[in-house]
Amino acid sequence: MATTIRRSKRIGDAFYRGSVGLLLVCCVVFLLAPLVVVIALSFDGRSYLGSFPPTSLSLQWYHRFFNTDLYMNGLWTSLRVSVLSVSISLTTGVAAAVGLHYAKFPGRNLLLSFFLAPLIVPTVVIGSSLLLFLGAIDITNGLVRLVAGHVLITLPYCIRTTLAALRNLPPSFIEVAMSLGARPWSTFWTVTFPLIKRGIVAGGIFSFAMSLDDVTVSLFLVEAPYYTLPVALLTEMRANFDLTIAAVGAMLAVVTACLIFLLDRIVGIDRLFGRGVYRNN
Amino acid sequence: MNVVELTGVRKAFKDVLALKEISFSVEKGKILSLLGPSGCGKTTTLRIIAGFEEPDAGSVFLSKRSMNGLRPYERNVGLVFQDYALFPHMTVAANVAYGMRQRRVPANTIKERVEYYLSLVRLTSLADRFPRELSGGQQQRVALARALATEPEVLLLDEPLGALDAKLRTELQVELKGLLREIGATSIVVTHDQEEAMSLGDEVIVMNEGSIEQRGTPADIYDRPTTRFVAEFVGKSNWFLGCVVGQGQQGSTIRTEDGLELQLAETLEADRAVEVCVRPERIRLTDPGLHRTNGAVVNAFEARVKEVIHVGSDINVFVDMGQDRSLLVKQQNQGHRLTAGELVMLCFGAIDCHVIPSTP
Repeated sequence: MATTIRRSKRIGDAFYRGSVGLLLVCCVVFLLAPLVVVIALSFDGRSYLGSFPPTSLSLQWYHRFFNTDLYMNGLWTSLRVSVLSVSISLTTGVAAAVGLHYAKFPGRNLLLSFFLAPLIVPTVVIGSSLLLFLGAIDITNGLVRLVAGHVLITLPYCIRTTLAALRNLPPSFIEVAMSLGARPWSTFWTVTFPLIKRGIVAGGIFSFAMSLDDVTVSLFLVEAPYYTLPVALLTEMRANFDLTIAAVGAMLAVVTACLIFLLDRIVGIDRLFGRGVYRNN
Repeated sequence: MNVVELTGVRKAFKDVLALKEISFSVEKGKILSLLGPSGCGKTTTLRIIAGFEEPDAGSVFLSKRSMNGLRPYERNVGLVFQDYALFPHMTVAANVAYGMRQRRVPANTIKERVEYYLSLVRLTSLADRFPRELSGGQQQRVALARALATEPEVLLLDEPLGALDAKLRTELQVELKGLLREIGATSIVVTHDQEEAMSLGDEVIVMNEGSIEQRGTPADIYDRPTTRFVAEFVGKSNWFLGCVVGQGQQGSTIRTEDGLELQLAETLEADRAVEVCVRPERIRLTDPGLHRTNGAVVNAFEARVKEVIHVGSDINVFVDMGQDRSLLVKQQNQGHRLTAGELVMLCFGAIDCHVIPSTP
């Protein structure tokens, strides 16, 4: 009797495990299939948009990408905007997070939600309101506009990862440092910063990816001669669609994969996004 | 000379009064234990001395200098936390050197002192290790060396052995006390563990609800508790509540509500209501009828064994005296067997009865 129950339980377990496995495979295929198609098409040797799979292979789309001024300018602008905005977001974000974490003042939580608000405000709203606002205060430089927009969307990520790192830091470290004679500034650089560094770097890499990838906010803020790569791709795609976009897509996928690999090596993806129900930060 | 002195220190958090007018002092080279249940204000006291909290009223003096308004890094206080809080990104030697670096001690002095304090805690060979590579006991010693290296006026230890397992704890109690004695560090140990408080402290302060209940040597605290709280918090007690009915040259007699008469060694005024505590190890169990032969025994009652619990070296015996009165008797385990239901005689002397002086 008992063995029968046990056996039927085992069959149930096997069935359960099997179906979960199948679901997992389906999800991965669903997520990866478009990527595989894009990468395959980026090596298409035909000069027109043919059906999948490609009949011949070449690097013509990559060649075209690197020889089109529009894309190269876009890439250069994108890199400048991302590096600038991430540097600004990181410095202000870390300062804000440290202040919010340690200071006790009324309205602290309100201020925190205020800082994190761009996470929930739709990017279309951010883009359009920034356009109106920057217009009203007469800022017409395209680079400044783009950087301002990107700081706004990356700042919450920098604050959040820094705050998560600070929460994991036992207060006794700071207190011991102070009792040993370290002033607040010195305590920050000798104890706090080295111990939250990984969280800060993670926030930086994540923000960089977010900024490089952004279309919506940038679309509102581009002003000749500054336009970002995703915006360039979008306009070009509307005018004359070809497979250069597949080549860019493939390269971006590789860069993103590298960034994620880097992120995992530095902090571990688990720590950054939590571990499901066993979320630890 | 008093190294640490607190006068009328009061502290409230929002509307909860954490400390109500605490005053005490610690002499140079002495170890004082602050003992009490959680929420009694002992940790707040420590944090006020260290400078993490400002008192609402009263002052803290370190070597006669008022600490009012001074930040933690402007005082000279050593701290050892329960979780040790060793900096994980620094080696053992760098941890010990940290305080001296912050206080701009010359490099060669730092080197000498790191060597000295590491040898003091017998960790010289582990100087280049990182804290995560050390055992709990070793980490504790690093924390101690780090706190001592800045040569603080007072060393504050917050549950210093709380994170260690029971066996190691007893061992380290002896070692820690010896070490603190050796360097003559004025220390305050905050703990809720009475064994830790009594074994480390030259003197113990028992705290409850933000006030000091009693200050005394470990023996004083245990043998002569001044309040019912102290008697109940430190060790176990049997209670007799009664009224003084007779006085003599040898002491006085009280009668409890359930009609028991007890001889006390103290002379008390008549009709006074008293609370008397008798420690479980002061009571002896004998066969019925045997007690009369021993002249020292003045209190003897018949009782029935309710339960016998062996706890290794000791045996805890619960006896029933009738009328809902049950007593705990602690005997040394010397091999004799008692069984539940057995009739016994319990005996204790007049001097084994301690009268709580603060009886209202």
